[in-house]
Amino acid sequence: MTKWIWRGIRTGIKTTSYPLSPELASGVSPGRPGGHQGGDKSRLVIERCPTGALHLTGDQIGVDYRRCVHCFRCQRGAHSGIGWQTGYEWGSREEARDDDRATLGGAFQRSLHIRVVDCGACGACLSEIEQTNKPYYNMHRLGFFITPTPRTADVLLLAGPLTEHMRHPLSSAYNAMPTPKRVIAVGTCALSGGPFGPSFASNAGVTEAVPVDVVVPGCPPPPLAIIHAMLLLVGRAAPSSLHSVGPTEGRVTP
Amino acid sequence: MTSPSNNMVVLSDLPEVARSRWSGKVTVSVDEGKRLVLVDCQPAALPEVCGWLFSSSYGFATVVIQEETAGWSLRYIFYGPQGSGLVHVTVGLPKDQPVVPSISLQVHAADWHEREAEDLFGLTFEGHPKLGDFVLHEEWPEGVNPMRLSFDSSRRYPHREPDTVWRPSPIVQSPGAFMMPIGPVYSDQSESAHFLLETVGEDVIRTILHLFYKYRGVEKIAEGSSVDRVLLLAERFSGTSAFAHSLAFCQAVEEIGGAVVPPRAQALRVLFAELERLRHHVAAIGGICNSTALAVATSQASILEEELLRLAGAATGHRYLFGLNLPGGLSLDLGGEECRRIAQSAQTIAGRLRELYEMLRFTNSFLDRVEEVGIVTREAATAYGLVGPVARASGLVRDIRKTLPYAFYDRLPSFSVPSEEDGDGWARLRILFQEAKQSAHIIHEVSSSLPEGPVCAPAPLRGGSALGWVEAPRGAAFHWVSVGESGHVTCYRVTTPSFTNWHGFHLAAEEFAFQDFPIILATFGLSNAESDR
Amino acid sequence: MTGVDLPLILFLSLCGLGVALAIALPDRKSPLCIAGVGVMMSLLALWMGGAVLLSGTPFRTELWQVPHLGWLILEMDRISALFLCITALVYLPVSIFSAEYMKRYLGRYSLRSFGVFYHLLFASIVLVLLAGDVISLLVSWEAMSIASYLLVSYEHERDENTRASFLMLAMGEAGTLAAAVALFLLAGTSGALEFTALRAGPAEVSQTLRWVVFLLSFFGFGVKAGLVPVNSWLPRAHPVAPGNVSAILSAVILNLGLYGIIRVNGDLLPVAHTGQGIVALVVGSLSALIGILYATIENDMKRMLAHSSIENMGIVTAGFGAAFIFSTAGHPVLSGVAFIAALYHMMNHSLYKALLFLGASAVDSRVGGRSMDHLGGLMRRMPWTALCFLVGALSIAALPPFNGFVSEWLTLQVLLRSAEISSTGTKIVFALCGAGLALTAALAVTCFVKAFAMSFLGTARSQDATKATEVQRPMIISMATLALLCLLFGILPTYVIPVLDRVVTPLVRQSVVDDLVPPFMLLSGGKGRYSDGFVSEFHDLGAQIGQGVLPGRGLVVLHQGSAKNPVVFAMSTSYGAIVLLLLVGGSFLLIRRLTRARKVTVQPAWDGGLRRLPPEMTYTATGFSNPVRVIFRAVFRASSVAETREAIAEHFRTAIKDSSREVHIVDRAVFLPLVRATQWLTAWLGWMHSGRVNVYAAFVLITLLVFLLIHVLS
Repeated sequence: MTKWIWRGIRTGIKTTSYPLSPELASGVSPGRPGGHQGGDKSRLVIERCPTGALHLTGDQIGVDYRRCVHCFRCQRGAHSGIGWQTGYEWGSREEARDDDRATLGGAFQRSLHIRVVDCGACGACLSEIEQTNKPYYNMHRLGFFITPTPRTADVLLLAGPLTEHMRHPLSSAYNAMPTPKRVIAVGTCALSGGPFGPSFASNAGVTEAVPVDVVVPGCPPPPLAIIHAMLLLVGRAAPSSLHSVGPTEGRVTP
Repeated sequence: MTSPSNNMVVLSDLPEVARSRWSGKVTVSVDEGKRLVLVDCQPAALPEVCGWLFSSSYGFATVVIQEETAGWSLRYIFYGPQGSGLVHVTVGLPKDQPVVPSISLQVHAADWHEREAEDLFGLTFEGHPKLGDFVLHEEWPEGVNPMRLSFDSSRRYPHREPDTVWRPSPIVQSPGAFMMPIGPVYSDQSESAHFLLETVGEDVIRTILHLFYKYRGVEKIAEGSSVDRVLLLAERFSGTSAFAHSLAFCQAVEEIGGAVVPPRAQALRVLFAELERLRHHVAAIGGICNSTALAVATSQASILEEELLRLAGAATGHRYLFGLNLPGGLSLDLGGEECRRIAQSAQTIAGRLRELYEMLRFTNSFLDRVEEVGIVTREAATAYGLVGPVARASGLVRDIRKTLPYAFYDRLPSFSVPSEEDGDGWARLRILFQEAKQSAHIIHEVSSSLPEGPVCAPAPLRGGSALGWVEAPRGAAFHWVSVGESGHVTCYRVTTPSFTNWHGFHLAAEEFAFQDFPIILATFGLSNAESDR
Repeated sequence: MTGVDLPLILFLSLCGLGVALAIALPDRKSPLCIAGVGVMMSLLALWMGGAVLLSGTPFRTELWQVPHLGWLILEMDRISALFLCITALVYLPVSIFSAEYMKRYLGRYSLRSFGVFYHLLFASIVLVLLAGDVISLLVSWEAMSIASYLLVSYEHERDENTRASFLMLAMGEAGTLAAAVALFLLAGTSGALEFTALRAGPAEVSQTLRWVVFLLSFFGFGVKAGLVPVNSWLPRAHPVAPGNVSAILSAVILNLGLYGIIRVNGDLLPVAHTGQGIVALVVGSLSALIGILYATIENDMKRMLAHSSIENMGIVTAGFGAAFIFSTAGHPVLSGVAFIAALYHMMNHSLYKALLFLGASAVDSRVGGRSMDHLGGLMRRMPWTALCFLVGALSIAALPPFNGFVSEWLTLQVLLRSAEISSTGTKIVFALCGAGLALTAALAVTCFVKAFAMSFLGTARSQDATKATEVQRPMIISMATLALLCLLFGILPTYVIPVLDRVVTPLVRQSVVDDLVPPFMLLSGGKGRYSDGFVSEFHDLGAQIGQGVLPGRGLVVLHQGSAKNPVVFAMSTSYGAIVLLLLVGGSFLLIRRLTRARKVTVQPAWDGGLRRLPPEMTYTATGFSNPVRVIFRAVFRASSVAETREAIAEHFRTAIKDSSREVHIVDRAVFLPLVRATQWLTAWLGWMHSGRVNVYAAFVLITLLVFLLIHVLS
């Protein structure tokens, strides 16, 4: 067994220092569209989006991040041309059902127990959630832990468009949690149904089954975004917006 | 997708044998160019024909069911050993009486396909011993079949009150036997699925699976959608093998339209596919170490996984390689320098994987937990038609990159397909390590011999049907796409390796100690999202 | 003497009255009458026993003289008085229970006969205990056997009941025969049949005779006590009897076997050879182990309790064995302690076994089934029964503050004192048997956790279990009485032990009460013979709190070591119960206070998100005890009778049916070979039964010729 201990020590510390300092490594986030000054091509660009995340506000292309699935069709191909934002702090409170539910402060700020429920997720969101527990991100250092039972959980982490078959297990898990309890919805599918949308087998997200407090859009949101959402829940980070506002938000790529 | 091969003996024998054995009941036609044999069969002779094909070591790929105005058409697709091509066995059924004899007794690999068809289409498979209670769960209204044309997929159907006295039917009927329920919400973090472990108190004797908690009806939503939209569905229904499934879909569409994919795109497709395979295998290795609670090994594997994710993200913009495949090629080109950097990183990671393997090999406490656990015999694997690393660990060597080469695989110097005989968890883990090493090697080969040229060619859109296939990280995947004259998809059928392998999961979960259950789950490394679609 | 005459006469006449009423009254009124007469008879018996036990004056009366055989004498000393009190303490609640319980037999079986046999059984038991000579003992013993046989086969329309009761009778008779031979052999040495004469007997009794008498009486009375290897009747007979009869069988009649053993081998012909004590110890430990093993894997409540009775009788016998060994090795104090421990255990067993059997019968009467795999969730539907059963289960699992703990602790502590014996062989036997008893104690906890949890907790596993309702007041009162007695005997051992000590003093010729329950914490001081070092040990433990103000003795102590280096093993369930009450009550109040502001919601149990959790998905009794079955596979040797795998074409497996049969180890090892040998012998002798009359005539002729030859030659 000592060889393993020695191996671990030799590997050193890989963990990111976020939120103390921003993570600058490449490949930690896909980034997202950042809005663009509209032009004659804007309508064609808007039509490229398969989930209807782009819309025209005035003469600018606005992005509804609840629907963006990172397909890059607005950025690549014939009619491309939209700003691209790097960054990963995507957590938002805008979808919260109850505005006067305070952030989960107090003792929860540095000790939060999370139950992850898969409501039909494709696997990428779940994989990113798993990464938050792994050496590069290690959310234990922030006081966030995964529990195997909702009985000892403070927050539910949901991913997936809420398939009809998962409706009852989800409400059962939510009811099994003691108060105070909160819900974080992870990923575009959990916010708007994603590519699977409302249909006979799945819904337009989890927001209609349980009251959601913090949302993280993305397909999938990178681990840092998920950590940002958890920090937001306990009041240790500032929220971002679910809608882009214009070219001042990001750099424009030709 | 096609390559010249001298070995068409078996395929060319087929027509004569079929005609002589079932004269009058089958009509055989051969498409030499596509290496395809089409056998149109009468329903009564169906089980025999399929059984004969299966016993001649043709693997069962999928069954495609299409509801037409005149009646039903069922297409059973078999694929042969290397160089043998495909066999399609088609059957027509009358519209109002869709009854067809079940082939599951002869071809056990078709069992779950038939159960799924019964649930979703409302077909009757005569002779199948266990229909019902499969895809649609008990709250689903009776008599409504989602895959029928008459079904409106855009609205939600009201649930019915489930029967309060319903009980799961047990396999073990000893006195005092009971079932331990697991899921659908279980473990620290896992996909939603339900297992019933039947036991009399000590060891678990049998396992019953209830899946399809993540059924999103992808095949139904695809009907009537544009190819663009279905490309998104094909890519996203299983995020951890997104590139592979989108590749299979694009290949099918390209075949329908007759598009010629440029060689650079073919090569880059291989590079990305192997990158995805490498990342998936590293994640699976981490999962197995996690299930045995060997924390440092898990961390080592997880570090490699994150490095691969960052590598993919930095090179292509998305960590999981989303948005790359298009009918006709790729949406992004990588420079030669970039590719070499990727290859170098992959080699470094492969080296560290090798070190990890060497350490695991000599850790007795770890080996105790994965050796002789969850054994699947070769006979069982063949009968169930298992695919991927799981099958290869049991001695059933089948790799679509070799038997039905696609993309750039036929132009690569020959690579070997690893196989093991033991069929236990340790064998599956060894296969993962060997395939990961091989993937890094293939990436290196491709990056050093990358052809020049464009990465995308125009892909005309015509009506027609085709099968696309790919060796996804978990095994062989088949996408059948039918496009109508208007350019919209009329039929989309996906058979995923997870679906095939979940079918055989209960073989490994027999007569084991309860604590080994997470390990058996981890060594199979299957995805419920991929299986449930 | 006169103190007992009156109640005895009243007792017997009440018995006669009860029999008459039982015959005369219609069946509807019978249960109440049975109960009433039973209660009064119990009270009288308690009066009789209590009078002799507490005052010490023995009772003796001579009935009449049988020609050539001697006087028929009734006498009661403290040993008989103890057994009588225990009998009465059990009969009282059982009679109250019968008031309601017998109503289920109205219309099916004759309550008249039940009443008659019930009262006659009580009377015969009392006469057995009061018998003062061999004849009256044997006569009343037979009466008791027959009465209990008739009661066990009360539900005679079921085949298995008649078979089981017949086996009980047959084995009982064999045991009685062995015991009778032993008694007559003993009587032969002293020439008279009265116990006083036998006690005084000739000084010289040969070793062989001692051994023969010991073995015959031990195994003869051992049949009634349910010792291995003669206990095959017990697990078959106890479950088939009506509930209240099972309680009496387990709690009273098994004690009579022990009474016989202790009367013959402790009183009339005290054990003189260590080997005899070792036999008792080993047989006791084996019975305990085998009994509890089979109890743990048993799913039928009553059969489990029957096996558990074997276990407890084994523990008592092991205690007796230890006492015999200590007395032959010259440690009278330890011998006395061992006897006290054994008798205490016997008393406790009567109380909690009766309680458990009554509880099982209550459940059976409401749910209609005894198999634990069909019960479940009864805690909410039968709360009082559940509470009383819980007390019984805690007692039998030897958990403080209940009575089982005291006797189990004392027994194990006494066995640990084997260090004081010089012979190594004996020490090894002691160690092994001690280990066996410790294992038994652990298995007993498993067994009764399973019994309580599977029957009362969890979800209901069958339709009948969902429809159960609480039983009527008389049944609850009887169970509650026994539960209360269990508690009292557990928290007041220091008042029971002096009484038992006076019972045991004639056997070991020494009083051990001061060694066990020292008086030095009392108001009156009473340090007496104890050194300061010894007493200061208690100060270190903090036990001197309240010294000088305590009204009664609170500590049970086993002392070892020298005055300079006293080693003390002490236990006080009285003080422990008080502290427990304070802690639990205090915690409860504290938590109530602290969580006053919290909101509590009640939700269904978390089951992973399923729609429902049917009983098939909860643990069964078989599953709970399966590890024991697997570990002790060599003992059980279960054979799989039918394992059918129905499959349609190789890969569709639809059912695995597996049932296994087990043959009890004693049957396997002792009886089946015996039966086979007998069958072989009779088959061999069968050649004599050729069926031809002339052959039989030839036999007669040959026999006559042989006799003539003998007569001529002698």
